[in-house]
Amino acid sequence: MTIRFVFLQANTLRPYLTCIRNTLTAAMCLQNFPCQEVERHNKPEVEFKTSKELLLNPILICRNEAEKCLIESSINSLRISIKVKQADELENILAKKFLRFLSMRAESFQVLRRKPVQGYDISFLITNFHCEEMFKHKLIDFVVAFMEDIDKEISELKLSVNTRGRLVATEFLRQFT
Amino acid sequence: MAAREVHHLAQCITCHAWNADMSMVAVCPNNNEVHIYKVSESPDTPWERVYVLEKHEQLVSGIDWAPKSNKIVTCSHDRNSYVWSLEGEEWQATLVILRLNRAATSVQWGPQENKFAVGSGAKTVCVCYYEEDNNWWVSKLIRKKHLSTVTSVSWHPNNVLLATTSTDSKCRIFSAFIKGVDARKDATTVFGDIKFGDELIQLDLACGWAFGAQWSPSGNSLAYVGHDSSIHFVTDVGPTPRARSLSLRHLPLRDVLFLSETRLVAGGFDCNPMLFGSEKTGDWEFISFLDEVKLPEEPKSDTLFAAAKGKFKWLGSESSEESTLTTTHHSCITMLRPRVPLSERSPDKAITLFSSSGLDGRVVIWDLNNVGDGLAGLRL
Repeated sequence: MTIRFVFLQANTLRPYLTCIRNTLTAAMCLQNFPCQEVERHNKPEVEFKTSKELLLNPILICRNEAEKCLIESSINSLRISIKVKQADELENILAKKFLRFLSMRAESFQVLRRKPVQGYDISFLITNFHCEEMFKHKLIDFVVAFMEDIDKEISELKLSVNTRGRLVATEFLRQFT
Repeated sequence: MAAREVHHLAQCITCHAWNADMSMVAVCPNNNEVHIYKVSESPDTPWERVYVLEKHEQLVSGIDWAPKSNKIVTCSHDRNSYVWSLEGEEWQATLVILRLNRAATSVQWGPQENKFAVGSGAKTVCVCYYEEDNNWWVSKLIRKKHLSTVTSVSWHPNNVLLATTSTDSKCRIFSAFIKGVDARKDATTVFGDIKFGDELIQLDLACGWAFGAQWSPSGNSLAYVGHDSSIHFVTDVGPTPRARSLSLRHLPLRDVLFLSETRLVAGGFDCNPMLFGSEKTGDWEFISFLDEVKLPEEPKSDTLFAAAKGKFKWLGSESSEESTLTTTHHSCITMLRPRVPLSERSPDKAITLFSSSGLDGRVVIWDLNNVGDGLAGLRL
């Protein structure tokens, strides 16, 4: 039974990631755009949302009720927000701590946002400057690989927490036997 | 292979412009400077940088080089524009009073080089002309009608009509007739008598931001692209124009270039120039991509077992196929320019040499004379 469940999960992962990849290829057509509101400024329009005509329609890709990905694009920037699968309370805490650890170190990732968008677990902000420095297809590879690895990491963390808990409990209760 | 020469000049190039005899090119390497390179005789030697023009404080967003007067006009995100003229060995900058309070996004000399137009983020277009008494360039502003940033400007060959595109997804044609600079007879066009700043046509064909407006060599047609991956052709521009819109299955385009009355090349986020043509009926169609895309080599496996194992290996980790396909440009093409001197161009001969610059920092020269069999039958 367990094996079949895992297979089904893997079955939806590929189409989900392919859909995200294709959407990102289309949404990541960014260009340098000077701010219309303030002179001499250059801001990511998707964050400020001051001019409605510069924003594109946001796209929400859902794998199931628990996992989804919101892609908001504009003329010079793109925001990707991901909600990661959290099956139980333990996964909830692990995901929160792990993603907070990554977000706090957003400087070194460059494309990561320090705070996730409301309702999501982690967000990326990609601007035209990132596209000028780095290859577009590599950026997309990074985001998709990140999403794949997150799930694996959290499962591994959960396993190790459970293993450690079992070990500690066994050791502790040994003194009573 | 249609790409004849590839020159990697910087990490990223915003815009480029050729001089009259195509021996020098002015390029902005994504900063506040303009670099002028001298072209070498053979296609393999790298170009030599001869001048650096430094006056702007922010990104230079537009460069245009007037072929007859040899003046360069540059505009930048710092709301300024300069007209440069070569005096001896140095390029001297002349101030342009633009009266803008937002960034300038694009610039183009008029065909007679006595005026130039600057599009800006202030939702206005400045048409500048030279004032002898004070030795500077003054501007008249077209303040009406634009609802968002003006992305590109293009002059009609009659030096009076100006087409603009904007991020409000519309393309508009204005009158840029200036009393005192233009002859009185120029005020009468297909639209009747016009005065400065009149909006003559508003084209609402695109659903996305509009870019790259260009007139055909005779001025009878106009083409522009939209960010919804569409390209629009308007013929018989006048009180009753005809339009044809093509929706493409590829990534959006950024700039267009008319090679003749019936051939047009466009480049954009696909990093591959696309050729469009219109036959006698006048309907524009997509012909082909100009770049040959190199496919990755299939890794050869010795035994059947190794081949099967290879298949399973890739099932799990699927990296994008696009990362291994390579076009000549590695990033978006932002500007296309003809590479044929003005003196050699004629109405019955198509331009077969043009250059493209992109966000990957490359300037590529394309030659359509030796393009493959499929196009050999089509006469440009």
